[in-house]
Amino acid sequence: MDEFNIVLAGVGGQGILLASEILGTAAVKEGLNVRVSEIHGMAQRGGAVVSNVRIGDKVLAPTVLEGKADVLLGFEPLETLRNLKFASEKTLVLMNDETVPPTELMRTMKKYPGLNEITEKIHRFTRKLIVVKAADLALKAGNILTRNVALIGALAATGNLPVKVESLEEALRELVPAKYLEVNLKAFKLGFEAVGENKSSRF
Amino acid sequence: MPNLRVLLSDEPGKRVLLLGNEAIARGILEAGIGVVTTYPGTPASEIGDSVSAIAEEAGLYMEYSTNEMVAVEVAAGAVNCGVRALTAMKHVGLNVAADAVMTLAYIGVRGGYVIVTADDPQCYSSQNEQDNRFYALLSNLPCLEPSTPQEAKDMTVSAVELSEELGLPVLLRTTTRVNHTRGPVVYGNLTKPKLKGEFVREPNRLVMVPANARPMHVKLLEKAEKAEEISEKSPYNTVVYKGNGELGIICSGSAYNYAAEATSLLGLDVGILKLGMTHPLPERMIGEFLKTYKKIVVVEELEPYLEMNVKAIAKDYAPTAEIYGKMRRSYFPRKGELSTRAVVTGLAEITGKKPPIDFGEIDSKYAEAVKDLPSRPPILCPGCPHRASFYVIRKVTGGKAVYPTDIGCYALGFAPPLSIGDILICMGSSVSTAQGINKATGVDTVAVIGDSTFFHAAIPGLINAVYNNHKVTLAVLDNLTTAMTGHQPHPGTGTTGMHTTATRVLIEKVAEGCGVKYVRVVNPFNIDEASRVLKEAVQYPGPSVVVFRAPCTLMLMSEKRRKGIKTVPCRVTDRCTNCMACIKLLGCPAITIKDGKVSIDETLCTACGLCASICPYKAIECGGS
Ligand code: SF4
Ligand code: SF4
Repeated sequence: MDEFNIVLAGVGGQGILLASEILGTAAVKEGLNVRVSEIHGMAQRGGAVVSNVRIGDKVLAPTVLEGKADVLLGFEPLETLRNLKFASEKTLVLMNDETVPPTELMRTMKKYPGLNEITEKIHRFTRKLIVVKAADLALKAGNILTRNVALIGALAATGNLPVKVESLEEALRELVPAKYLEVNLKAFKLGFEAVGENKSSRF
Repeated sequence: MPNLRVLLSDEPGKRVLLLGNEAIARGILEAGIGVVTTYPGTPASEIGDSVSAIAEEAGLYMEYSTNEMVAVEVAAGAVNCGVRALTAMKHVGLNVAADAVMTLAYIGVRGGYVIVTADDPQCYSSQNEQDNRFYALLSNLPCLEPSTPQEAKDMTVSAVELSEELGLPVLLRTTTRVNHTRGPVVYGNLTKPKLKGEFVREPNRLVMVPANARPMHVKLLEKAEKAEEISEKSPYNTVVYKGNGELGIICSGSAYNYAAEATSLLGLDVGILKLGMTHPLPERMIGEFLKTYKKIVVVEELEPYLEMNVKAIAKDYAPTAEIYGKMRRSYFPRKGELSTRAVVTGLAEITGKKPPIDFGEIDSKYAEAVKDLPSRPPILCPGCPHRASFYVIRKVTGGKAVYPTDIGCYALGFAPPLSIGDILICMGSSVSTAQGINKATGVDTVAVIGDSTFFHAAIPGLINAVYNNHKVTLAVLDNLTTAMTGHQPHPGTGTTGMHTTATRVLIEKVAEGCGVKYVRVVNPFNIDEASRVLKEAVQYPGPSVVVFRAPCTLMLMSEKRRKGIKTVPCRVTDRCTNCMACIKLLGCPAITIKDGKVSIDETLCTACGLCASICPYKAIECGGS
């Protein structure tokens, strides 16, 4: 495989770094070449966060080129839109429907755009869109902070990743502290099942 | 985050996914470094943090020093006793340390010494994007530049060897995309760190009075010549592709990654000279490369450091060489970080090839889709004590004072609605710029600074205020940690990088010791008391200091989670009149509008109670936690 590009986009605090690391670790476990690029520091404080995971023999640059994402994993609808430049008609967009309204919207008393408007915009780039209720799944698993892992589970269920489900689970076991492992494994499973079973969530 | 014990593994050949900074930490263990000093700063922070997590087990010493200059000086002492050391800092940290570094270059080292300077193109978390390769030029120190986490580790080890061979400190210059990229790293052998050395009196070499400095400068230049010979043979300086002789690319660091991908995207058969040792440059090697290709392109991030040098070399080796880069005509950006796209675009222009991707089309389609998309800049966390402090400062001064600010999370306070932050230059600048502004205008100034930054750089400025009797108020927002960079300890926290307890240096005592007559400590969440004290401080005829002390909420909440303590979020009752005061004054991300009504997001609220105490209708209920 030459390259497989995943763009993860959301808001600081949603667990994007861990999600990227799970994907990267799974790739290394399978002997694949990988680059995971992250942004730390000031940008993390509740701001827009983007991370890139690139898997494949030809990969050198840490960042994904415009139009070249195979997967856009959106942790938040507006942040998904903000990263559409990486999408093309080949891109699968897997999006968490949980909204985190920017404080700017509150102050200016503007409305958060509706899901229809958001999906319409995504459709201008690609028809391949799956919406997941990752926050609900995470709460069902027992901890809202596992939404990231629920999303990885959902992504795994699409069969779109160049790494095996077992490798992802193994990475999870390695990266998550023992105390939180069970709830994370549960979130992973719930995410997997949500996409695996409920095709109606496809738009 | 990962279990950093993986760094300790004694399995040469093992392949693990590491962040560039973790790879440098692994390199420290493989190089047998005994002393690691640092001041945290993005994108370098995880180097020190990774070492701190495993230092005891690895049998080495690490410390968070008060600032980068102190960090270099501590290490300079150790390496001149024959112990190996490394100091990690962000690019602007080297400005602080430069005074020590420039002369340490004369003195040299006995044990290998590596100074990591982590540059931040694009200013992801910095006040500027200076290119520190010029420090290598300025100081005559050798400089290595990795492109990947693997190289970051390997070069850490090589830098120690190089340092001992030359008797010079070696700069390891990284950029954000190397520090904060994870990639596979193959381990080498561990070397047991040597912790104890011996101090040998050599005043002629070690005491830099003019009579000794002059001959040591000569020595430095001799070492630099030797370094150039090493650079000619360095395995890090190589022609990675030969190409068809048409186009030759010269690049270094992360630019190599983009250049290699860009040329393959464009289907160009190019020669690539990848430089890993960028000071001194391998002159003969570059000269030969220049002669081999019809056109030369220099691809590099930020300043045209390589290009300037390559052009100077061309004058002797290939005076007619056609060299493209960013000087005179700019084919690549001189600001911000480089990208595959920027390199594709530049190379397409130089070669006349058409890029395989229509970026223009993507851009316009994208611009259409994100029109009116609200921005989402970083903001203070829900429950952040700084929000309370800023609220108090605004309330007391009515927005009429001038508010110089400083480097830390609280710099985010400049944005509305808090709007506290009028000028910010560098670490410690708040307290001193306030004095100039007050002198020049007579307007009240309330300077804002954090606890770690106070220790790092504010003390001389504060003494200046006392000595020259400047009427300024310094608000020290003491959240008991170095929050922005990942919650490192500092002199006021009572713990060290080795996880031992330490004497707490109290900011109020320091301020008193500096001669400040009005010094008070308040809890920012106690709005009335804090306001009363701040008012007094601002009215005080000389310099005054108010320490707003409350722990960083992010730190507090993770501690609570660890201990299994539940947080009962605050809630909006039906007394709420939708006056929007909380939203308009605080900008707490946990306060949202749901179905046209103010509401508190219970997954975000930390129950700090600030909104409850400022609500004019007492419509927010907190408690139970
Ligand atoms: S990390 Fe701490 S100090 Fe920084 S914004 Fe968050 S709560 Fe405030
Ligand atoms: S109590 Fe109010 S100000 Fe504090 S975190 Fe909760 S919503 Fe924000």
